[in-house]
Amino acid sequence: MDNQPSADAARRPSPRPEAQPPEAHGRLLACLDSSPAAGQLVRTAARLAEAARVEWFAVYVETPDDHPTLEGQERIAKTLRLAAQLGGQTVMLSGFSRRDAILDFVREQGVAKIVLGQVSRPVWRRWFSVSLADQLRRRAKDVDFYLMAAGFQEPHPRSVPRRDAWLLVRDYGLAATGVGLCTGLAMILFPYLALTNLVMIYLLTVVLIAAVLDQGPSILASLVGVAVFAYCFVPQYYSFSLANTEYAITLAVMLIVSILISRLTSRIRYQASAASQQERQTAALYDMSRNLTTKLSLAELLPEAIEQISRTFDSQVAILMPDGAGKLHLSAGKAFPDDYGSEMLVANWVYRYGHFAGLGTKTLPKARGFYLPLRPSQELIGVLRLEPAHPHKMIALRSLRFLEALASQVALAIEREHLHQQTHQTQVQIEAERLRNALLSSVSHDLRTPLTVIAGSASSLLEGENSLDSSTKAELTQTIYDEANRLDRLVHNLLEMSRLQSGQTKLNREWHVMEEVVGCALAQLEPQLQDRPVVIQLPADLPLVRIDALLMERVFINLLENAIKYTPEQTPVTISGWITQQELLLEVADRGPGLVPGDEELVFEKFYQAGSGGARGVGLGLTICRSIIEAHGGHIWAANRPGGGATFRFTLPLDEGAPLLDKTLPELQKGHLDESPRAAH
Amino acid sequence: MNPRVLLIEDDPRIRRFLRASLPTQGYELLEAGTGHEGLSLAASQVPDIILLDLGLPDMEGIEVIRRLREWSQTPIIILSARGQERDKVVNLDAGADDYLTKPFGVGELLARIRAALRRTGAGEEDKGADIFTLDKLRVDFDRRQVFRGEVEIHLTPIEYKLLSVLIRHQGKVVTHRQLLKEVWGPSSMEQHPYLRIFILNLRRKLEDDPTRPHYLITEPGVGYRLRGE
Repeated sequence: MDNQPSADAARRPSPRPEAQPPEAHGRLLACLDSSPAAGQLVRTAARLAEAARVEWFAVYVETPDDHPTLEGQERIAKTLRLAAQLGGQTVMLSGFSRRDAILDFVREQGVAKIVLGQVSRPVWRRWFSVSLADQLRRRAKDVDFYLMAAGFQEPHPRSVPRRDAWLLVRDYGLAATGVGLCTGLAMILFPYLALTNLVMIYLLTVVLIAAVLDQGPSILASLVGVAVFAYCFVPQYYSFSLANTEYAITLAVMLIVSILISRLTSRIRYQASAASQQERQTAALYDMSRNLTTKLSLAELLPEAIEQISRTFDSQVAILMPDGAGKLHLSAGKAFPDDYGSEMLVANWVYRYGHFAGLGTKTLPKARGFYLPLRPSQELIGVLRLEPAHPHKMIALRSLRFLEALASQVALAIEREHLHQQTHQTQVQIEAERLRNALLSSVSHDLRTPLTVIAGSASSLLEGENSLDSSTKAELTQTIYDEANRLDRLVHNLLEMSRLQSGQTKLNREWHVMEEVVGCALAQLEPQLQDRPVVIQLPADLPLVRIDALLMERVFINLLENAIKYTPEQTPVTISGWITQQELLLEVADRGPGLVPGDEELVFEKFYQAGSGGARGVGLGLTICRSIIEAHGGHIWAANRPGGGATFRFTLPLDEGAPLLDKTLPELQKGHLDESPRAAH
Repeated sequence: MNPRVLLIEDDPRIRRFLRASLPTQGYELLEAGTGHEGLSLAASQVPDIILLDLGLPDMEGIEVIRRLREWSQTPIIILSARGQERDKVVNLDAGADDYLTKPFGVGELLARIRAALRRTGAGEEDKGADIFTLDKLRVDFDRRQVFRGEVEIHLTPIEYKLLSVLIRHQGKVVTHRQLLKEVWGPSSMEQHPYLRIFILNLRRKLEDDPTRPHYLITEPGVGYRLRGE
C-alpha cells in the first residue's frame, strides 16, 4: 500500500521541540492500537519514561482503512485516558498509513524511543508484507524500539463498518451506471475522436465517480471502464482480442492511471472530510466552552450543554446527577423512555465504574442509550446519556473522542458551578456569622438594660421594704412592669425576625378588614400611646385584603413604636390609606424631627438605629416590616414629610375576588333569621 | 366560701408568682405540676375554675381539656405563649373557655377569672335579665332594641344575632368558628371574611371610633370578645 504522510497538525500537542528543556530530546512514544493489550503497553511506556525521566506520548493513528469496532474504540479511548492519567500526552493522528504518521511525529517531536506491540502473524504473511515495527525500524535508525510480544493483533482491514447493504449496492450501481453513460457518450463521439481522446472520457468518468463515491465503486468503475473500452473501442471491435500489441500498452496505462486516480481522489476526499470535520468539531467545542462560561447557574448551563450535544450528535441527550444521598436523578434533558428502570441500571453502572456503557458497547449493550461518565477530575459528578436518533449509526472513534471532549467541557462547567455555589455558601455563612455577632452584641445590650432596671428596682424594693414610701414603691413596681413588657416585645421581635429570615414563616393569608388590623395594633400599644393623638384616615369602602393579619399587625405595631420612639410626646401620628391601581397604599406618618437625609434606605437595615436620641431598641422593627411587606408582594419606603416629620409608606397588592363589603351571606341567613332573637340570649 | 382555682402548670416560678397573688385576691389556690395530677385534683377537689398551661411535660393540653370535658363543665382558661394562635383556637374549640397570653399581668388574669365565674353564676341566677347594659351600650331583648346612650341603633337581624351571641359570652373570647356556627349555622364555619365584614359593620354602628373599639375587641388570630366590665 502506498502511504502518504498526512498527520494532521491541528491535533498535535502544542509543545515545540525548541521550546522544550533538554530532556525532551529523549522523548518516548507508545504506539497504541485497539488490541486489549494496549493498556499493558501504556503502563510499560509510563514506567520506561519515568525511569528515564522523559516526556512521553501515547499516539493512536486513525487511517481510512482502520475501522475498529465500537468495543475497540472504547478500548482505545480507555487506553488514551489511562495514558493521560499516567502522565503521558495523548495524541490522535489521522493519516493514510500508520507508519508515515508515526515517522512524521517522531521527527517533529524528537522522539528517541518507541514502544509498540509485536504483532504475532502466521509465517506465510511475513513473506508478503513487512510488519509495522520492521517498517519503522528500517526508516528510523536512530530510535530505540521496545517491542511487546503478548496479545497484539494485526489491525483488521476487513472489518469494514456494517454499512447498509442497500447503500453499497446503490454505490456500485451508480458506478456501473456512470461507466454505462460514459460508454454511450463514447459511442456517439467515436466517429469524431481519436482513440486516445476516448480514453480521456473514461478517465474523466473515473475521476467524477471517485469524487462522489468511495474507493471501492471507483476502482470497480476503473476496471469495468477499461474492460468495456477494450471490448467496444479497441480493434478488434466487440471482442477482447487486440489487433495490435500496442493497444495492450494503451489499456495497461489506462488501467493504472484510472486506478491511481481513483485512489488519489478518494484520499483527497478523506482528507478534506477529515479537515472539515475537524473544523466543525473545533468550532463546536469553542462554541460550547464559550456558551458554558457565560452561564451562571446549573439551571441555565445544563440545558445549553444538552442542546449543543444533541444538535451535534443528532441524539436525545440527558444529564443525570446524584442527589445528596448519591442516587442518580435526571437533572436535565429528555425524559427517559418507558423502560426507565433498565436504563437507570446502565446509568448507575456507569456512575459506579466510570466507564462507557449501553448502546453499542460491550457492557449492557441492549440499552437504548449510550452512557458516558462526567468526570472533571478524579471524582465522578454525573452521567451523560445519549440516545441516537438512528440507533444503527455507529459512533465513530473520532466522534467518540469528540463526545468525550464535549462531555469533559460540560463536566468542568458543572464543577465550576458547584465550586461557585460552595464559595457562595461560604460567603453566606460568613455573612450570617457576622450578623449573628452583631445581633448578639446588640441584643445583649438591649436585654441587659431592662434587666438591670428590673433587678435594680426589685432589689430596692426588697432592701427598702420599711424605708420606702408607698409612692416610691409604686413607681419602682411600675418600672419593673414596663421594662418587663419592653423585654417581651424585644424577644418577640427577635423571634419574628429569625422566623422570617429562616423562611419558616408561612404566610397565613386570609381576607381581612384593614380597619380591624390597625385597631388591633393600636390596642396593643395602648399603654405607650397614652394620650398621643392618633388620626386614622381609611376610606370607608376599603376592600378586604388578603394578608396574614398577625404579621400585618406587627408591621403597624413596629411603625407606630418607631414613631413613638423617635418623636416627642403629644405629636400626632396619622395612619392613612388610599386605593391606587391594583394596590393599596398605606401610610404611617408622624410630626417628629424626620429622617436624616440619605437615611431613607438605611433605616430598613438590620440593627440600624437613628442617631443617639436615647431611644432603645435593637433596630429590627423596620427590617421586620420590610420582610413582611415583601413577603406579601408589596414594598415599603420611608421619606420626610413636607412640613416636617417622617412618613413610612407601603403597598399591598389588591387581589381579585375580595368578598364585597356590602354583600352579606344571603344563602346562609335563611332559616336562621326566623329564629327568635330571644333564642340567642 | 372563696372560689377554688386549680392551676395546672409545670413551671414552679409561675406557680410561685400565682401563689403569691391569687390568695391575696380572695381565691383558694390548688396546684398541679402535671396533667395527670391536675385531672385527679379536678376530680377530687372540684375547683370552680381551672388554669391550664399548654406546655405540660406529660400530656398535651388539648388532651387534658377533652378528658375534663367528659364529665365537667368547670371553666378552663388556657395559659399559652404568643405565636400559638392556632393552638389557642384548637383548644378553645375543644372546650376551653378563654385564654391568656404569657406574659400576663395579674389584673388581666383576675378579670378573666371573674368573667368566667360570672358566666357560670349567670347560668343559675341571671336567666331572667331582659336588659343588658355595658357602659353606654344597652340592649333590650324583649323589644329587640339596641341603644347607644339614648339613641336607638338599627341593627340588621344578623347583626343583632351576632351581638346577642357575644353578649351571652361576655368577657370571654369566642372563636371565629364558634361565632359562625352560632349565628349562621354549622355549614358556614369557615366563612371568616364575612364574619369580619359583619363585625366591621357592627362596630361602625356601636363604637365611637370603630378603629379603636371599646366594646367589640378583636383577639388577633383567634376571634372576638365583648368587653367584660
